[in-house]
Order: sequence, then C-alpha cells, then structure tokens
Amino acid sequence: MALLQVKHVKKIYTTRFGGNQVQALSDVDFSVDKGEYVAVMGESGSGKTTLLNILATLDKPTAGEVYLDQKQMTSVPDKQLAAFRRENLGFVFQDFNLLDTFSIRDNIFLPLVLAGKKYPEMEKRLEPLAKSLGIDRLLDKFPYEVSGGQKQRTAVARALITDPQIILADEPTGALDSKSSDQLLDMFEEINKKGETILMVTHSTRAASHANRVLFIKDGVVFHQVYKGDMNNEEMYESISNTLTLLATGGQKS
Amino acid sequence: MTGGFYFKLAVQNIRKNRKIYIPYMLMSIFITAMFYIMRSLTLSKSLRKMEGGTYMGQMLGIGSVIIGIFALVFLFYINSFLMKRRKKEFGLYSILGMEKRHLGKIVFWENFTIGLMSIIGGILLGVLLNKLVFLLLANMLHGDIPLGFEIPVEAIQSTALFFAVVLILIFINAFHQVLTASPIELLHGGNVGEREPKTKILMTIAGFVCLAGGYYLAVTTTNPMAALFILMIAIILVMAGTYLIFTTGSIAVLKGLKKNKKFYYQTKHFVPVSGMIFRMKQNAIGLANIAILSTGVLLMVSTTLSLFADMNHIIDNQFPRDYIVSGQFNADEKDSSQMLANFKTAAEKTGVKTGNLLYYNYFSITTGVLKGDELITSLDRPKGFSKSDSRSVGIVTLEDYNRINHSRKTLEDGQILLYADGKPYKNQELTILGKPFNIKEQLKDFAGSGDQISANIGDTFVVVVKDAAAKQQLTDLREDEIKKTGNSDYDISLDKKAFYAVNAEGTEKQKHAFQNQVSQGLNRFDDNYWMQDRESGRASMIGTYSGLYFIGIFLSLLFMVAMVLIIYYKQISEGYDDRARFEIMQKVGMDDSEIKHSINSQVLMVFFLPLVTAAIHMAFAFPLMKRLLLLLGLDNPPLYMAMTGLCFVIFAVFYAIVYKLTARAYYRIVTA
Repeated sequence: MALLQVKHVKKIYTTRFGGNQVQALSDVDFSVDKGEYVAVMGESGSGKTTLLNILATLDKPTAGEVYLDQKQMTSVPDKQLAAFRRENLGFVFQDFNLLDTFSIRDNIFLPLVLAGKKYPEMEKRLEPLAKSLGIDRLLDKFPYEVSGGQKQRTAVARALITDPQIILADEPTGALDSKSSDQLLDMFEEINKKGETILMVTHSTRAASHANRVLFIKDGVVFHQVYKGDMNNEEMYESISNTLTLLATGGQKS
Repeated sequence: MTGGFYFKLAVQNIRKNRKIYIPYMLMSIFITAMFYIMRSLTLSKSLRKMEGGTYMGQMLGIGSVIIGIFALVFLFYINSFLMKRRKKEFGLYSILGMEKRHLGKIVFWENFTIGLMSIIGGILLGVLLNKLVFLLLANMLHGDIPLGFEIPVEAIQSTALFFAVVLILIFINAFHQVLTASPIELLHGGNVGEREPKTKILMTIAGFVCLAGGYYLAVTTTNPMAALFILMIAIILVMAGTYLIFTTGSIAVLKGLKKNKKFYYQTKHFVPVSGMIFRMKQNAIGLANIAILSTGVLLMVSTTLSLFADMNHIIDNQFPRDYIVSGQFNADEKDSSQMLANFKTAAEKTGVKTGNLLYYNYFSITTGVLKGDELITSLDRPKGFSKSDSRSVGIVTLEDYNRINHSRKTLEDGQILLYADGKPYKNQELTILGKPFNIKEQLKDFAGSGDQISANIGDTFVVVVKDAAAKQQLTDLREDEIKKTGNSDYDISLDKKAFYAVNAEGTEKQKHAFQNQVSQGLNRFDDNYWMQDRESGRASMIGTYSGLYFIGIFLSLLFMVAMVLIIYYKQISEGYDDRARFEIMQKVGMDDSEIKHSINSQVLMVFFLPLVTAAIHMAFAFPLMKRLLLLLGLDNPPLYMAMTGLCFVIFAVFYAIVYKLTARAYYRIVTA
C-alpha cells in the first residue's frame, strides 16, 4: 500500500508584482510504498528541491495533492504544520543544519523536547540509536568539535528519534568526503532494511545506486524511473548512468 | 590614479553598507555637534557677561572634557564593532588579490570620507543648534539675550582638531584589525565555532562579594563627610561586581539551569537557556557597559536635576536674608549692640529700609562625642568611638532664642533647651564639659532657615542655656580643657561665633551703597566679620547648578544616542546570526510563533537586563547619594526620590521605545 502519494502536483512561482511566472513542477505524479528507499535525481533547476519542499510541507503546491498515510498533507492547517512535520517527517540535509549552540545530545533531543516528551524517555530512545549510529561517545561534544560525517550521523539520529513515517533527505552526501559518504549510504540502507521509508533527493549517481528505485525528474515532470530489483549496487550504478546520459543528450520521451 | 580607485571603492563600500554606516555617521555628526556646542559656550563672551555666567563657563569647560572622553569611547567601540561585521568583505578582497596595504588604503579612504563628512556636518549642525542651546542657558540664568550668532573660531578649531585625532585613532585600530587577521580568518569573520563558555565559580563568587560589599557601603555610610571617599570605593566595587556577574555569574546560573535536566528539557526552556549561554558570552561586556553607563547617567541626571529644582530652597537656606554678616565676637555681647548700630547708621545714611533682622551669638564645640548622656569634648577622641556618635554643639543664650522665636520660655539654673538636628536625643540629662544639665524641653527648631549651627552636615546639638553667665562658664570650662590637653595652637576665639542677617528695601543703588557702608563699618571689629549678599551668592549658585544640570542633560543625551546605536547594531548582528537558527528550527518542527516567542524572550532578557541592573544599583545608591547631596546643600529627600523616579521612568520608556523600533529591524532580518 502506498505510504506517500504525490498526485499531479504543479508548482508555479510568480515573481513579485505578478511579473514572470516560472513553472518549477508541471505535473509530478508518483507514489512511495511503505519500507521503500527511493532516490530522486535530476539536474539543477529540474524541480527536485521544490518537490522536496512541498513534501516537507515547507511549501504548498499550486495544484495537485500530496497524501501521507491517506492523510492529505496539503490540507493540514498552518498552525498544525510544525507539529505534523515533527511527528511524521524526519529530515537530513546537505549542510547538516545542526544548531551550534546545542551539544550533539541536545541537537538530537530537539524534536522530542519540542514535542514535550519527558527526559527519561528521551534518554531511553537515544541510547540504542546513538550506539547503532556510532555517535554514543560524542554526545556531550558540540557540532564544531566533530567531523562532517559525525555531524551528518547526528542529523540522521535527530531525524530517526521521533520514529517518523518517512525520512526526507536532501543531498545528504553533498558535503561529505567519499568515505563518510559510503558510511552514510550504508547506514541508510541498514535503516531501510529495518523498515524505515526513505526518500532521498540527490545529484550523486553513487548515492542513488543504493536506493530500491530511482526517479528522474526533468522539466518539472517524472521523466523516467529505474527499479533496482535484483541488481547489485554496481549494476544499478551503470543503469542510472545510462539513463542520465540519455537525459543529458536530450533523448525524447519514448 | 590608483588613489582615485581606492577612494571610489571606499565610497562604494560605504554606500553598500549604508544600513550600518548611516547610523554611525549620524551619531558622529551628533557627537561632533555636541562637542562644538560645549566648546563654543565655554568660550562665549555673551554668556560670561551674564550673572553667574563665569561659573557656568567653568562647569561647561569641565563638561566638554567629559563629552570628549565619552565621544572617544563610543566612537571607538562602535567602529570596532562595524569592522567585525565587515571582516568577511575584507577577506573576499584579500582572496581576490589585494594586499594588506591595499586594504589599508580602502580602510583609510572610508574613514577619511566618513570623518570629513561628520566633522563638517557636525560643526555646521553645532553652529545651527548653538543658538537654541544658548537661549536655553540664558533662560536658566535669567540673562539678557544678545542678537545674532556667535561663532568662536577657537571652538571650531578645537572641535576639528579633537575629532581629527579621534578619527585617526579609530583608523589605526581598524587598520590593525584588518592587518592582524589572515584571509581565511577574515572570510570566516565572526563565524568561528563558538565554544561553550566554562563555569567560573570563583569569579562568580567574587562578583557577588564585590557587589554586596559595594551595596553594604552605600547603605550603611551615615557620615556624609566620609561619603565622598566611600562613594569612590563603592563605585569601584559595584562596577567590578557588575562586570564579574554579567560575564561569569550569568553563565554560572544558566549552566546550573542546564544541569537540572527536568527543567532544561522542556519546550519552554530548552532553546532559550542554551541560546542565552552563547548570547551572554558574546554580549556580557557590552551589557555590563550599558548597565554601568545607565546607572551613571541616571544618577547624574537625577542629582543635577534635583539640585536645579531645589535651587531656590538651597539659596534660602544659605541666605535667609538679603545680607549676611558673620564672624567671631570679641567682647562677647558688646559686639552685638555695635553691630546693630552699624546697620542702623548705614541704613539711615543710604535711605535703605532694613527689616526682619535676625542675629545671635553662639559658642561652638565641634569635637563632641556622645557617650550615654555625657558629651565628651576632649580633642583627643576617646577610643572605640563610632562616627554616628559624633555631635557638634552650639551654645546659645535663652535671650537670643526667645528673641528669634518671639517666645517667652524660661529656664532655671542647670536647665537647658535642646534642639537635636539629625539623630534625636532621647535622654533627660546631658552632661557637657563635666557639668550636668537637665533638659527642660526638646525643641523642634532653632532659627528656621537662619540656623547656622545645624547648617553643617553632621548631627548637631543646639544647646540653649539660661543666660550669658552660663554660656561664659561653659566657654571657660572649654578653655581649661584645651589648655590641659596642652594644645597651644588652638585658637578658642574662633569658636565664638556671631551671625547677623537682615533684609533691605530700596533701589539697587541704595542697596549697593548700604552694603558698602556696612562693610566699612565692619573694619571696627578687627576684620573678624565678613559680609555676604544674597544676589551674588545666588548668581554663583545658579551658574554652578544650572551648569551641572545642563551637563547632566547633555551627557545623558549623548549617552542615549550611543545606546540607541549599540542596541541597533546588536539587534542587526544577532538577526543575521539567528536567521540560520530560525530556519533550522523551522525545518525540525518548531512553528513560527514558537520560534518568535523563544527568540523574543531571549532578546528581551538581553536588553532589559541592563535596565533592571541599573534600577537595582540606583536603589542601593540612594541612601549614599542622599547624604552626598547634603554636602551640596540639598536637604530634601522626597524631592530627590521623586526626581530619581521620574528620571528612571523616562529612561525606561525611552529604552523600551528603542527596543521596539530596533526589534522590528531584527525581525525583518530573521524572517526574510
């Protein structure tokens, strides 16, 4: 059954004073099943970020609907949006978005504190999570004291600690070196195997090759998709590469 | 040619950064104008011609020095703040291939442009406003207002010179900042990972001890003579305490809150507490500065305002009549009749009508220390005596008392009337110079505003004895006591004092002649008497107190402008820092109103902390200031209290308005 359904979503940006109209998404239509690991690829300006912002409820589509677990996200009133986001969505960003005034522990706790959870419960949730992500020894350090990979794992912990329905990741390997990238991608795979649904927007073929399915966006529509099926990561990598080459050389939709 | 390039670049930079440079320029124009006004008033010839103008001029001279110091401090502070904000820009230039000396040229031209504009603008504004301020002063002094503008060249010169030096210093400082930083450092600017500050328990305790010590001194000091010295110590202690508590105490408290997990991990407290730790780390010194300056300005304005408001009262106290003659009587009561005759002949000769005559003789003992119901007057002070037990004593006869108060009180041998000024005296008996007296009545007053005996600042006894013989007996006893001490330098005739005060009606000319006539008549008394008239006394007081008041207002204006600017810049720079945090929290699931609320509470706390601190400081300074004002002749605590309250309320309202306006700029940045 589909966990996330994106139905004919359209987004038009209008510059101020009603000048130029820019169509970021023209008609995006796809769905993500529970437990799936989906990567969204596309060139700069293809509308990836707009799509992610809409899924994150940070932006509203001009037309079309988005359902999360049968609940229409676009109709959640503004006042409840923050709480909705907190309870259902987990975010991992390219530039980590950790607060420099908080220790690693407090950064991970942030969504729980906002949700009004009690301290003992927070600790109980944190312990196994920190251990599995390998950051249990860093908890009392501050973001400026740890490496990029460790920061990103902190961000993953922060996304997971609320037990969200879906993880939305925006170029999570964008600011990491290749070793840290690989570690993070392995970690994503592992999380996914435990049943977590992940939707990742990325530029990186390598990152996308870890996903079960890759969606290609071009000019505001889902242009093509590749299923991993029985392919291993290397075969998937090649398949994605070929598709990207096809997209880049301007192959017409067939 | 290249010079032109750097100049153009500098102008462009200023234009690009106008959001921060326009307020800075306005402020330096304003400060320059104020400095010019002070200088030109000090040098003003028409002000000198007014009554009290000379005294005013002296005050203003001191005032211009103080304004100069403040100007230097403020401009320096704000400029180094601006440079910090622009580090990134300079980092970019150096990465684009500019060498340090090129950056130096840009900084030079920027400072030169701004400096030139503010000196010229400031002097122009000063010349324009000068007339207005002059009218205000003339009104205070009740002087004639001359026509036309007065523009002392000397004032323009000294203003231009002073600010040129200030701006050169600022340039050197700015250049130094650019010079010592590496391009990477410049690029990152203020963004180097802020380390969480450590708790410093010892410093925190030291801070609280300093503050408590300063407060204790301020509250417990009862001797106004000692107040001046203690004030200095108290000020130093309170300042040190404020700095320590703001820098280390605040962090210790916040960290303590953070350790309390139940408290800390609540939606309401989580973000503000951790945010405040970093905010205090960055702002503690600035906030402590604001707190101390606010306290200083408030104290200054409220005291000078009180003195100004109570001036007539103070003058009346010092000059109960138009003319005062005071001195030492030689042949005891015989002097009195001669003096009265002197007044009478002078009045007859000049056609002045005298009236409301007040006079009395008194014998003064200033070394008294109260021990139970005995007054020990020995010059060698007894051991273990406390300052609060010291009393100075004036002995007058019943005859003088009855004449002054139009009363018909009577006394037996060994009986006295007692007026205790300052601390009340509760016993029935009082032993003076070994002679016990029974107190027949406690008086509520001695001679009203003409009471010279209690006019000093310590606690005083006015002792009314039965007659001249009783007074003479005490005088003799005192003489014996002093002889026994073997103090041959002590001139007891200085303690035999006489006081005359009289009103005179007539034309100015007549009054002047009367004064001369009486003065001449005083020669007969071997130069033991001198004469003062209320008019010249009033002029000097009005000049001095109006001058003080004026400087108080001027300085507080300067301070407020500087404070507005500091707050404005703080809001803006915090806004840029907070914008990133705002976005993250939004993504993590905090809604707009929650974020606004959290940031608002932090900003509010940061800005109102100095105000609250200033209020507490002022409350504790009140008793000490009250006593200090006694030294200046102001004996009106309710008035002083009202003025202090008034000043504080005005200041707080102003502060709140500034906060509101700058908070708007802040939100615009954060939510952009």
